[in-house]
Amino acid sequence: MLQLKNVVFKVSGSASDTKQLSERTIINDVSFTFERGGFYAITGPNGSGKSTLAKLIMGINPITRGKIIFNGTDIGKYSIDERSNAGIVYGFQHPARFKGTTFRDLLSIAAKSEDEDKLVEILSRVGVCSMDFLDKPVDSKLSGGEIKKIELATVIARNPKVAIYDEPDTGIDLWTIGPMVELLKREQKENNTTTIVVSHNKVFLEAADTLLLIKEGKIAYTGDLAGAVPILEDLSVCTFDELCQGGDNAECYR
Amino acid sequence: MLNAIDKQILKQVADLEEIPKGAYNIRKDGKLLSREVSANINIETNKKGDGIVIDIKPGTKNESVHIPVILSQAGLHDVVYNTFIIGEGSDVTIVAGCGIHCGSDKSEGHSGIHEFQVMNNARVTYIEKHVAIGDGTGRRILNPTTNVIMHENAYVHMELTQLGGVDEAKRINTAKIGDRSVLSVTERVMTEKNQFAESRNEITLSGEDSKANIVSRSVIKGHSSQDFYVNLIAKNRCFGHIECDAIIMDNGINKTIPALMALHPDAELTHEASIGKIANDQLMKLMSLGLNYDEAVSQIIQGFLR
Repeated sequence: MLQLKNVVFKVSGSASDTKQLSERTIINDVSFTFERGGFYAITGPNGSGKSTLAKLIMGINPITRGKIIFNGTDIGKYSIDERSNAGIVYGFQHPARFKGTTFRDLLSIAAKSEDEDKLVEILSRVGVCSMDFLDKPVDSKLSGGEIKKIELATVIARNPKVAIYDEPDTGIDLWTIGPMVELLKREQKENNTTTIVVSHNKVFLEAADTLLLIKEGKIAYTGDLAGAVPILEDLSVCTFDELCQGGDNAECYR
Repeated sequence: MLNAIDKQILKQVADLEEIPKGAYNIRKDGKLLSREVSANINIETNKKGDGIVIDIKPGTKNESVHIPVILSQAGLHDVVYNTFIIGEGSDVTIVAGCGIHCGSDKSEGHSGIHEFQVMNNARVTYIEKHVAIGDGTGRRILNPTTNVIMHENAYVHMELTQLGGVDEAKRINTAKIGDRSVLSVTERVMTEKNQFAESRNEITLSGEDSKANIVSRSVIKGHSSQDFYVNLIAKNRCFGHIECDAIIMDNGINKTIPALMALHPDAELTHEASIGKIANDQLMKLMSLGLNYDEAVSQIIQGFLR
């Protein structure tokens, strides 16, 4: 069980016009419990803080105030690798590209094993067919789809207790999203993995058991998709109000 | 014949556990230690007596020749001039390299000046490793020069590696590439403490449809510095690409100056250069897979210098 208790995250920066140091609150007192084995989707307008919330859980950014409790332990001060070893794994929206490091290297690190059979078993779970793929360097020559598959494989190889996916559909074609959702649901069912997906995509919102809607750093709604629809269709959630001249001019598709 | 230190150096420089099979020439402390020729590969001391001539018969296939150099004499600075003639149509591997063992406060150095004549349709893989070991405080200096002349439809792949212990290295590589010939060079250099390494490369694509691919990977730690210069000069219709990447850590300094000169309207030349600390997103990814910071750095460098 993963509990967020009154989590606050602020960043300091200087406003360009005043040159004074100012603080911005990105996550504003969020409390929520992710139950073991649940499938959660975190959604919200651009800039709402949803990706930041996911990063705070993983320790990519440190919380300013509040607590993150995982299976009874306060992990607020844990480093990224300590959280990974505790069972929390993160799938990055834009996976890192290396020079020289191969898919095999990453998968062996993730799976804590270089055993060929074990690696093949993970590949088949993820739906990667070719063995040659394993020895490809994870560099800028790989396509967006290829690197996403590698990213998913490394998360699944960890057999995580909590798997966080930050916009996993970025750069993925329409035909691959369905199988991706099936993969995440399968992992959730077979391994009781608590799955948290940050997404705008309806496919993930429909697949989730519980939706969290983040607006301006706070949870605006938790529950199922049906209950969230009025809020999702509400134009006031749109952050581009100032730029719009109204429905006729901007042709908003919301 | 080979003492423990010699064996340690041979292992690091040439991956050899014992005397190699096939043709070889082992030089130790400025003198010939041992030599063996094969039916197709002849090795002789040159006329001036300051190096060897390695003559590979035309058509020699799938043979290798090892020419390691061991230096463990305090104060010795050794200079050799080696000539390689790679006969038409041959396909060989040449394993060179120099290992310095320094046990005193006197400096030790080796300058190997190698000239390659690669004849038509020949293929060569040239692997050169430089390393210096020992507890002595004397400076370890390695200054290799490699001049390659490629005739037609030839292929040369060079792996030039320097991964530790060398205080000062000034490397010069030149190449003249003939019609339809291809040169591929990968240079990997790691420096630390107060070491300095410089690499100057002048690659001339003189033949029609000639190609060159030059890759440099550097890791610069401590207070060390590395300079990398490459001039890619196109005198004909050709393809040339330079890729130089450097990871700087601690207080490392790097100067990278790639230069492209297209002296022909059908030349296609490209280059990419990057210098910087280890990318944060790479570190975060590896840490998210359970590696701590030091392990993550180590993995990134290992992959980078592979």
